[in-house]
Amino acid sequence: MEKPKSEYFNRDLSWIDFNARVLEEGLRTETPPLERLKFLTIVSSNFDEFFMVRVAALKRAARSGVGRDPSGLTCEQQLALVAERVRGIVRRQYDCLTKEILPALAKEGLELVRPGFYSPFQMHYLEALFQREVFPTLTPLRVEEDADFPFTGNLRLHAAFLLSKGEAGEAERFAIVQVPSSLERVVWLPREEDGRARWTLLDDVVLTWGYKLFPGYSVKEASLFKVVRDADFAVDEERDDDFVEAMSEVLDGREQSHPVRISVSADSPRLRDELARRLSLGSDDVYEMPGPIDLRSLMDLTQTKGFDKLREPVWKNWWPLGLPEDEPLWETIRARDVMLHLPYESFDPIVRLVQDAAADPQVLAIKATLYRTSGDSPIVRGLEEAARNGKQVTALVELKARFDEGRNIAWAERLEQAGVIVVYGLARLKVHAKACMVVRRETDGVKRYVHLSTGNYNDKTAKLYGDLAIFSANDELAYETSLFFNSITGYSAVHTMRKLVVAPTELKHRIIALIDREAKRSNQEYPGHIIAKMNSLADIDVIDALYRASRAGVKIQLNVRGICMLRPGVAALSENISVISIVDRYLEHARIFYFANGGSEELYLSSADWMPRNLERRVELMFPILQEDLKRRALGILKTYFRDNCRSRTLGSDGVWTLMRPAEGEAPFRAQERIYEAMREEVEAIRGAPRQEFVVRRKPPAARE
Amino acid sequence: MEKKNRLVAVVEIGSTGIRLVVAEIDRDGFWRVVDKAGKPVALGRDVFTSGTISREAMLACLGVLHGFRELLKGWGIEDDEIRVIATSALREARNRDTFVDRVYLQTGFRVSVVEGIEENRLMYLAVRYALKDDRPQFTRSNSIIIEVGGGSTEIMLLRRGKMVAAHSVRLGTILIDQQVGQATGSNRYLARFLAESVRNMRESLSAEMDLSHVRTFIVAGSDARLAAARLGTEVNAECSVIERAAFDAFVEKIQNYTVEECVQKLRIPFAEAEGIIPGLLAYKLFLECTAATEILVPNVSIREGLLITLASGVDPELQEEFFSQVIASAVSLGRKYRFDEAHSLHVTRLALKLFDELKAEHGLDRRARLLLEVSGILHDVGMYIRSSGHHKHSQYIVANSEIFGLHRDDLDIVSNVVRYHRKASPNSTHIAFIALQREERMIVLKLAAILRVADALDRGHSQRIAEIAVERRTDTIVLRPAGQHDLTLERLGLEEKSDMFQDVYGYKVILS
Repeated sequence: MEKPKSEYFNRDLSWIDFNARVLEEGLRTETPPLERLKFLTIVSSNFDEFFMVRVAALKRAARSGVGRDPSGLTCEQQLALVAERVRGIVRRQYDCLTKEILPALAKEGLELVRPGFYSPFQMHYLEALFQREVFPTLTPLRVEEDADFPFTGNLRLHAAFLLSKGEAGEAERFAIVQVPSSLERVVWLPREEDGRARWTLLDDVVLTWGYKLFPGYSVKEASLFKVVRDADFAVDEERDDDFVEAMSEVLDGREQSHPVRISVSADSPRLRDELARRLSLGSDDVYEMPGPIDLRSLMDLTQTKGFDKLREPVWKNWWPLGLPEDEPLWETIRARDVMLHLPYESFDPIVRLVQDAAADPQVLAIKATLYRTSGDSPIVRGLEEAARNGKQVTALVELKARFDEGRNIAWAERLEQAGVIVVYGLARLKVHAKACMVVRRETDGVKRYVHLSTGNYNDKTAKLYGDLAIFSANDELAYETSLFFNSITGYSAVHTMRKLVVAPTELKHRIIALIDREAKRSNQEYPGHIIAKMNSLADIDVIDALYRASRAGVKIQLNVRGICMLRPGVAALSENISVISIVDRYLEHARIFYFANGGSEELYLSSADWMPRNLERRVELMFPILQEDLKRRALGILKTYFRDNCRSRTLGSDGVWTLMRPAEGEAPFRAQERIYEAMREEVEAIRGAPRQEFVVRRKPPAARE
Repeated sequence: MEKKNRLVAVVEIGSTGIRLVVAEIDRDGFWRVVDKAGKPVALGRDVFTSGTISREAMLACLGVLHGFRELLKGWGIEDDEIRVIATSALREARNRDTFVDRVYLQTGFRVSVVEGIEENRLMYLAVRYALKDDRPQFTRSNSIIIEVGGGSTEIMLLRRGKMVAAHSVRLGTILIDQQVGQATGSNRYLARFLAESVRNMRESLSAEMDLSHVRTFIVAGSDARLAAARLGTEVNAECSVIERAAFDAFVEKIQNYTVEECVQKLRIPFAEAEGIIPGLLAYKLFLECTAATEILVPNVSIREGLLITLASGVDPELQEEFFSQVIASAVSLGRKYRFDEAHSLHVTRLALKLFDELKAEHGLDRRARLLLEVSGILHDVGMYIRSSGHHKHSQYIVANSEIFGLHRDDLDIVSNVVRYHRKASPNSTHIAFIALQREERMIVLKLAAILRVADALDRGHSQRIAEIAVERRTDTIVLRPAGQHDLTLERLGLEEKSDMFQDVYGYKVILS
């Protein structure tokens, strides 16, 4: 791989490897085509973010002359390698799209019709559509040599036209027009007798009839493009008073910041070069797409009704077995901790926790951190209702959740109007911890119910992201959750705690201490054992601790979905470390850490990856699983992934990820499927059985007087 | 009706920060902390350098207290269940009344400023609670409880678990820092300065107890808790222990750190880093005066002490235990001034007997009885200076001493009672008497009247009247001593000293 050979892999190249793994899931021919398309759109949308944030940062680093990264590469080398790898992936992505997926979809009756293949009837229909609905929304802008390049925003699809009057000697003109984002990009063509669902792209319609915007000119060449800009700049943290406004300014700024990449359709080399020149982008930054550009906006297509056979069968989200549906949540959680494994289990219990709390007269207060939450989320509505019912509701709304800022500002203000105490995050730190707490006054004293999770309070992603959470009424955990909320709501400085570990104050130190403890306790007889699952591993200090542990004989199994800067399997460095990555239909998102600890096993869940960003620049939580049966369950989940031989890849010491395949005579094992099936069987066995007892609804004895 | 659990809150405005605890007290008086918060505010820095709380610090305090208000609202705690106390910084601030008023108007919190010696009491309660019964040598050997705060150092000396002395000394980390900073600013000077201060203090303490016999060294305060978190092992959930050698080595190591290094290497907030070196160094120097091999660090503060008070307000057993500590401290003070112990205790016994018998007449409570007891013990300490006018010397000594568990207000009463145990009754030229509240003046008169009678009964300092029976008639109180004695001397004394009793209670006192 990279030279010189270092103890670490490069962070960004490792991330690109991850996106390549996502692509490979889309390349699987046995997967239904709409499912494959989804992976391809994810690849594109991942790249957009990657360029906005990482490549932009690399470019800035290159400009300011930052030295080599831990893998020994300069910024320029990294940028060059990034460009090379991305191009390779994009090529494979479009090959697959144009040669396999689109034909497969067409075969099944979902057919994309590109310009040049429109039937006369379709031409007629589309032209009318253009005149009626598209034309009024278009604003063509002339590009002048001696004026600023017109505003093209960030990630917005545009068409470019090269125009001429057709008279000799007349200079060519150049104009751009934004493809309206208010209209659906997928344009359905009228059904014909054969019943096939044909569709085309709005941008193709704009490109085809765009000449109508320029009367008196003829269109010589036309092309589509999309500019990706630097989105990685921070809000002015000094402005505490009007932070919301400062944040809005950042959002505006993102539309006008430095361009870092331009994607263009392969229609016109002249326009491509002209656009690059005008945007001051080098050839490395220009990506020509051999097919429809901006695949991420095709995500909607994957949801098209009526084509279920082109998708994987739906997996249900079960109401968790450990939480009887017809009993008050409080009673169950008081009696024992309950674990929730999203998305196999449903997000509904969390919604119910908030809703029940809102309506419960005994509830005094509710506190929650909201990171990537949708505005119409039932959680937000529940909190609003609770505030109106006179509960003290505190919501920490992280405005800085990247790319969600706009959405966040709107509903945060709505919450405030309902009487919720809204805390708009912390200066210089993103609050990434996910915690919710309900304070309830019960007959024998106050009781707190906490929900601590590895995933956000977002009912939408809760159907796609694999996360673990616990409900608990454990006094110590609840007490410390209170302290945690006190510190993030500004009531208090951070306290040292026994059970909860908070970043940026303690977490990194604790993780390293846990790894070192494992190394210290490891001996010939009882070698240490660490199993850790996370999204990314990029913190050099933590990686060094893992190397130390490996040298001390600790067996280390890592399940890292995304970036992994650790180089496994190197003699005298990391020979006891193995790394796998799972990319499957659910996005692996849970952070679970297991330490054998000389037989006194410890299991932790966390909102944090082992990256400097999480450990040093965010407010994160790590919490222990305290109940024995839940520890066993979490450990079971952790271990299940290492048996996967279908969707798992192993990282070699050379940095190459190798897809696992069932060995001769070995049954295929797909971890996500296994977890789902096991849960389905259990649910059906229990829910299928007739009730042995009726649940009698009566007031508690005390209330009957 | 079932008695419900109460939620109570204690807010402490200290010299380095403002801290809050919320606790739930159940019907049996058990309590548990359910919430806490705290933010650094450098009140002490202001007060100990300029004498007043600056506008900025005041605003910072108000900000923190507003936050606490909101937090407490979330718990639904009523105002009468919230106690807001302030310690040395506010105590010494010239603008403390303004501060207290501002806080009340803006946040609704009523701040009460606690005295050093009250701080001692709360600390003692908290320490007793934290130690539980896990360190039995506490009641067998000599102990010291010490806390070096921002503006003052609280010291308690105990002999076999009994209070010998309690002091609040003007030696605090911020003060030290300021004095040393003005001199040279180097840590070596700091060590020398502290060593001198501690030597002086040790000498004055040695009159009460020989520190070299101290076996149990108990350190309260946040600096010590920080050290305990790194070096200590847990005795129980509320208390840790640090080996002396480990502690010494640690202090040795960090002694030359700058504040910034403390923040970085010890990973502690700046506000705490500022005082940690002088604080820990002072502990080390005190430790060197003792024979202790370990340091006990209770993980509690005066906030917990106040919680215990709130929770056990009605626990008579604990109160009696506490009163016995007050008495022990008073006796210890008497010994310091070489009082006639037999006489004093005897007079005290007689006075208490009268007090108990005359309940209907004086209508005073248990606390007044304690003050009478202390007054009885100390009524003659002025003899140490000179026999002539010794009641005035007694008054002076008491007014300028510290007795564990007694407020300034209490000491004002006691010093007046001892003042009037003989000679002139109060009159309008007696400033110390006039300075008292009306109710307090009544208490002084009632107690002094009783004390005078009791003192007269041991006129000869020979404890001849061991017991008395009290008989009430329409206009006379008849005291009948047990046994047969020649009572001439006592009668004479009574003639001379029962005038006040007659004035106050309207009874003549006859010894028959």
